[in-house]
Amino acid sequence: MSTFIKDFIEKETINRRNFLLASAAGLTSMALPMGFATRAEAALTDPVLAWSYRDRANPYWLSIVSGGEAFAESIGRKKEDLVNLINEGSSEKSLADIKAFLDKNAGNCAIACDANDSPNARPVVEAVKAAGGYISTIWNKTDDLHPWDIGDNYVSHMTWSDEKPAEQTARILFDAMGGKGGVVHLGGIASNNPAIERLNGLKNALKDFPNITLLDAQPADWDTQKANELMAQFLTRYGDKITGVHCANDTIAYGVLEALKAEGIEDMPVVSYDGNLDAVKLVIEGKILATVFTNPHWGGGISSALSYYAATGAFKPSEEPHEHREFYGPTILVTHKDAADFKAKYLDSVPTYDWKDFWGPSNGGIVYKS
Amino acid sequence: MTRLITRQKLIQWAPFLVLVVLMLVFTAINPAFFSLRNFGRIAISSTPALMVAIGVTFIIIMGSIDLSMEGTISVCAVVFGYLFLQWGGTLFSSAWIAIPVTLLLGAFLGLLNGAVHVLLRIPSFMASLAMGFVGTGLAVMMTSGEKIFVKDDAFRSLVTLRYFGFPVMVYLALLALLIAWLIQSYTTLGRNFYAVGGGEELAHASGLNVKRVRITGFVLAGVFYALAALFAVGKIGIAESITGANFMFISITSVVVGGVALWGGTGGVLNSLVGVLIVNVIDNGMVVIGLPDYVQDGILGVLVVTAVVLSTDRRMISVVK
Repeated sequence: MSTFIKDFIEKETINRRNFLLASAAGLTSMALPMGFATRAEAALTDPVLAWSYRDRANPYWLSIVSGGEAFAESIGRKKEDLVNLINEGSSEKSLADIKAFLDKNAGNCAIACDANDSPNARPVVEAVKAAGGYISTIWNKTDDLHPWDIGDNYVSHMTWSDEKPAEQTARILFDAMGGKGGVVHLGGIASNNPAIERLNGLKNALKDFPNITLLDAQPADWDTQKANELMAQFLTRYGDKITGVHCANDTIAYGVLEALKAEGIEDMPVVSYDGNLDAVKLVIEGKILATVFTNPHWGGGISSALSYYAATGAFKPSEEPHEHREFYGPTILVTHKDAADFKAKYLDSVPTYDWKDFWGPSNGGIVYKS
Repeated sequence: MTRLITRQKLIQWAPFLVLVVLMLVFTAINPAFFSLRNFGRIAISSTPALMVAIGVTFIIIMGSIDLSMEGTISVCAVVFGYLFLQWGGTLFSSAWIAIPVTLLLGAFLGLLNGAVHVLLRIPSFMASLAMGFVGTGLAVMMTSGEKIFVKDDAFRSLVTLRYFGFPVMVYLALLALLIAWLIQSYTTLGRNFYAVGGGEELAHASGLNVKRVRITGFVLAGVFYALAALFAVGKIGIAESITGANFMFISITSVVVGGVALWGGTGGVLNSLVGVLIVNVIDNGMVVIGLPDYVQDGILGVLVVTAVVLSTDRRMISVVK
């Protein structure tokens, strides 16, 4: 722990020194108080990179950050040059850290960020704009907040629509169940957007399968142990009526598989979501029928790339169409027949991406439900 | 006089009666609750929690509190996972050594925890909470958030191999409970826990080395947390930085619901067993009778308060803090 803190302080000191040198070199105008109209839209030289996200204890966010680091290396920087701003699930901390980061670097920043919850996105992007920095967001923002209303400093927003892919996994599950029987759904934290969308996807698929009943759907909070206990409780309540299990993500599926194993049930059809390495291995083994990969590595890298290249003036966000400023991230369905290929291509070695191909792998502009 | 004895007896048996009533209610609503299969499931989910509850019972008897369990369990689980895979990955190789090493690690973490509390004279509440965070942070650093899969069938027979409907881990947990009960009832150390909890000044004045008793208590608790870590990993086959998550609430709740008073000096590990069963029966029963998920947390809270009201004797104390 102590080396971690020491490294952190060292890094911060170096950043501070860089800033002082930059000031001495005549860039002091950056540090002047707001009010200079030209500042907000001016291209930056060598902006400092940061990723603001929730926690270090989660493979998903680690993968996001690995993308940001890969991008940093692509422009000749070191991995450590990407500053990690960790909000620990607190919107207040998210905003305060970003403000401090902007102050320290006098707005010379290219930030990628998940604002932790939707209402927090607006104060975050407004703070970035006021300081003259650039930001790309993912996941959380309110429907009425649009990059084009804020200006070039709010470069882009990416999110993932989980409803369709979750519906696809449900269809695969129902086919494996022979189109009849009972299904249970173990969900994420009830108020989380992806948890709601993934359950909706299941419900959409159910409309085409009149002989399948949704026995129960309850939150397992993305947690393996909770999922394990919930599945055991479902088995008591529904027993043999359960002929298929729809899981909101891979970590839940691990708990479900273990609960089934403890009962000696080996051949229950199970589907999941997220495309983690271990889950993909289980797909190859046939223990999980399908999972969905959202390519967080690419998402993390491209968000950094978008804010960086907009900051340096390599492209001008306001000249791009709306679907380039608000778009869906990629989703790849992984099933038994393509799992091995998928694993070789995306997981065994991380593909090298062209970080200037901003929208190639994306999934079209965001559509809002009224 | 006879009336007083009746009242005491009633209070002593109240947690058990609460448990029985809960089971009857759940069975009345859904008879599937009352089946060997379901009891097996409740037993599996109770096993790691029981180990934590036993550990913290010793501390609570002394009138202290220990909130370090989540960190300790996570560190033990992760270290066990790494060592087990490193040393062969199956119980039939030298990997079994990872088990005693993990227990020693638990003892060491308990020692550290107790030393911070006693030697630096920090209240146990704060010292253990802080040490718990250190543990959780350490586990996150060791794993970087990755999961360690322990797939060895021999080790996993903890949960897959069953005798009379219950998996092996349940019998091992009962053995650990027996040992804890023997320590509590038939050793000097056990009696000293009660002496410290019942009146620390008096115990000190009688020549008892209170500091040593306290630290030993934390060491013992650490060993039981390590056992909890082993069972938790055995249960789902995964060791991760959040293996210890949620155990703080469930274990302390269980201990109190079971009738161990937070002010120390009364109760014991058998109370904790009943408490763990009450909490897990409520948890299981709510899903089994089909309670909507959004009311489950609220109902759990209400039932816990009710259980504490029924199962602890609060008439004897004048101040509740």
